Amino acid sequence: MSDILRLEHLSRHFAGVAAIADVSLAVAEGSISSLIGPNGAGKSTLFNLITGYLRPSEGTITFRGHRIDGLSTTRIARAGVARAFQIARPFPEISVRENVRIGALFGRDGERDVAATTEAALELTGLVEFATRPAGELTVGHLRHLELARAIAARPHLLLADEPCAGLNPAETEAVVEVLREVRRRGVTVLLVEHDMTAVMSVSDHVFVLDAGVLIAEGAPALIAADPKVIAAYLGTPEAA
Amino acid sequence: MLAIQTIADGLVLGGLYALAAVGFSLIFGVMGVVNLSHGALVMVGAYLAWSFWQAAGIDPLLAIPLVMVVLFGFGYVYQRGLIQLAVDRSSLMSSMLVTFGVALMLRNVLVLVFSPDLHSITPSYSGAPIVLGGVVFDPLRVAALTASLVLLGALAFVLRATRVGRIIRATAQQELAARLCGVNARHVYGLTFGVSAAFAGASGAILGIVIPFAPPSEALWTLNAFVVVTLGGVGSPSGALLGGLLLGVISTATSQVIGPSFPNAMMFAILVLMLMLRPAGLLGNAFARSR
Amino acid sequence: MLRAAIHAQRWWLLASVLLLAASAAVPFVLMPFEVRVGQLILLSTGLALAWTLLGGFAGYWSFGHTAFIGLGAFAAGLLETGILRGTGWWGFLAGLSFGCAVCALVALAVAWPILRLRGIYFAIAMLGVAQVLAELNNNVDALGGSVGVVMPRLATFGLRPEGLFYYLLLAATAVTMLIAFCVRHGRIGQGLAALREDEDTARMLGVPTERYKIVMFVASAALTAVFGIIYAHSLGYITASSVYRIDFSLNMIVYNLLGGIGTLAGPVIGSAIMVVLTQVVLGRFLSVHMFFTGLLLVALVLLAPKGILGLRWRGGRGAR
Repeated sequence: MSDILRLEHLSRHFAGVAAIADVSLAVAEGSISSLIGPNGAGKSTLFNLITGYLRPSEGTITFRGHRIDGLSTTRIARAGVARAFQIARPFPEISVRENVRIGALFGRDGERDVAATTEAALELTGLVEFATRPAGELTVGHLRHLELARAIAARPHLLLADEPCAGLNPAETEAVVEVLREVRRRGVTVLLVEHDMTAVMSVSDHVFVLDAGVLIAEGAPALIAADPKVIAAYLGTPEAA
Repeated sequence: MLAIQTIADGLVLGGLYALAAVGFSLIFGVMGVVNLSHGALVMVGAYLAWSFWQAAGIDPLLAIPLVMVVLFGFGYVYQRGLIQLAVDRSSLMSSMLVTFGVALMLRNVLVLVFSPDLHSITPSYSGAPIVLGGVVFDPLRVAALTASLVLLGALAFVLRATRVGRIIRATAQQELAARLCGVNARHVYGLTFGVSAAFAGASGAILGIVIPFAPPSEALWTLNAFVVVTLGGVGSPSGALLGGLLLGVISTATSQVIGPSFPNAMMFAILVLMLMLRPAGLLGNAFARSR
Repeated sequence: MLRAAIHAQRWWLLASVLLLAASAAVPFVLMPFEVRVGQLILLSTGLALAWTLLGGFAGYWSFGHTAFIGLGAFAAGLLETGILRGTGWWGFLAGLSFGCAVCALVALAVAWPILRLRGIYFAIAMLGVAQVLAELNNNVDALGGSVGVVMPRLATFGLRPEGLFYYLLLAATAVTMLIAFCVRHGRIGQGLAALREDEDTARMLGVPTERYKIVMFVASAALTAVFGIIYAHSLGYITASSVYRIDFSLNMIVYNLLGGIGTLAGPVIGSAIMVVLTQVVLGRFLSVHMFFTGLLLVALVLLAPKGILGLRWRGGRGAR
């Protein structure tokens, strides 16, 4: 299996402080990988770098063999990187279906089969019954699904999910996890940032651990859970979320 | 020598601009409202002063307190009755549209009552020019400037040192906290707007002596205030003074260097350029949230 | 995508075509005064539509669109009288193209910096732009603003003058409506809707926001110029103060707010109602038009911000 995303010696400074310091990692194609770490570790910054919202201070980002660091967010989105935000950002006045449609229209492969892609994304995330409602009316749980649906509709090769389970109860968490599994089944690679250890352990093929901008460990979930460095940094076990 | 004269003229004019802008600045700083009817209020002040002068021969500078009282009342009612409703919709655009509408309503009223022709107020002490160290000063403008500076100083004093002023500033900074301390925020906003309108009117009365005015000038004075705030910063009389003085000098310099009919064009150009290039203003505390 | 929209909207399209056909008959059927009212409705509708390409669709509300009316009018007028010295219809077409080109270029030149401003700041900046252009036009002698420009007369092909301008405006309005329809129901329209709601998120979803904004700004400027140029010819003689008018800017906003901002039918409904109200109902009270329009703006903002179309759909989804 090849690497769909490769970060090499990636660094990002803000006024002298290194938010990300010399991070190198590779995400295998077709996998679900998780990025974990204490608050302030730099996980969101890493996502911002990958999607082009921020430029790296040093290092490179390679996606499917091509350098994407320095490209605009629009170009990177077109190349097949989609992001579902932690705090949902729906377009409140337009319907759920139209929200998802925007994802389909402006993602990878633009105008091809827009209607079909939109419906598929709505079905996958269980939003068909809400499709005609204005997005502003949805509950938080459903808004998370909308974020995912919009990202999925963009036909990405890589889906970046930013804490999709945050604030959800166990049943809702399981629903989101199921969506991610189905997404992987359809050939999309998933990289998610998550604090919910149950979700992380149950769904991930590979885990990256970030602390203070540095990659301190990576590997299979079971190994990571037992790694003393990780325990020390995170002070967490699989039960403590 | 010409340069010094130009600068001196600019500073004198700038003091007037500062007073004409301070009300606008206060409203934006305290309530976040862009009052597009500000210039119209300035004009109302000018026409009120003109009316007192025409009807009873009252000197405009003496009429200022009367003008201020009338406009304070109008401003208070205007804010609580209309602008607050727009602000309640929590959209800056709403309050801007409402004030835009009111501006044009006031303009139309002024045209109907006073005709669209240029007016000016020419009080009797137009006297001989004052010469100081080779620089010529028009006594009328000096009187106007003095009145402006006195009023600016009074406003600064009220805001800094009186209870009302402190309440206004507190509400501006933290409305919810102020309300929790028992402040009636709506009333405070009404007062603030009343003060703003009063100063706008006062500036109109003063400007009426110096610059001929007509109802369409209202747009000019609104945009003037906007430029002053962009140059000098939001919310404080000192910021208005800085911005006003700068604008005054730029005005007179433009008049000298490019031509007497171009200061307005230059002012609008500065507005557009500042907004496009450095909306936070020269000191960084103007329209920082514009992007 | 457009084909699907045409199918979905086919009844409205049919109604529009019928309306167009009926409108074409107006100069032969109605009295001159009524034809002039019709002219005014068409001019207002066209301007409102041109404004809403940027305002309603992209969410950038310009308070200074009269800039393009004035700039277009003077560019065309100066070309036609100064260089072409009349020459009838060819001159008119040359003037029209030149005026549009000038406005498009000016818009393009300021687009990138000015479109970085959001909301009220963009509105004020455009107000400033309009004032700058008005002042320059008025005070630079070569641009003839204070002296004025006499627009060349056009051969009328046997029609009465008001009929001629009626048809010019009808054609321009029809074209503008077509463009607005294609924008609204095409891919760009969807992207603009997203942009209007949340520009940053739209950009991150891949919507080419900068490109779309600039395109709409330039298109809006050029189309506004078209109507400004036709208007100038119908006036016959223009000065800076007759074509750079703040109430033009105000009206474009009010027509849209009244009818329903962000829609296609909104500007049409809003202009028709406003023109009938001011010309017919308040016809004898010319001197209070500005007051009335300002009052209406205040009332709309406070009571019915979604306009007439919005009132119909109140309680359900937004009228988009």
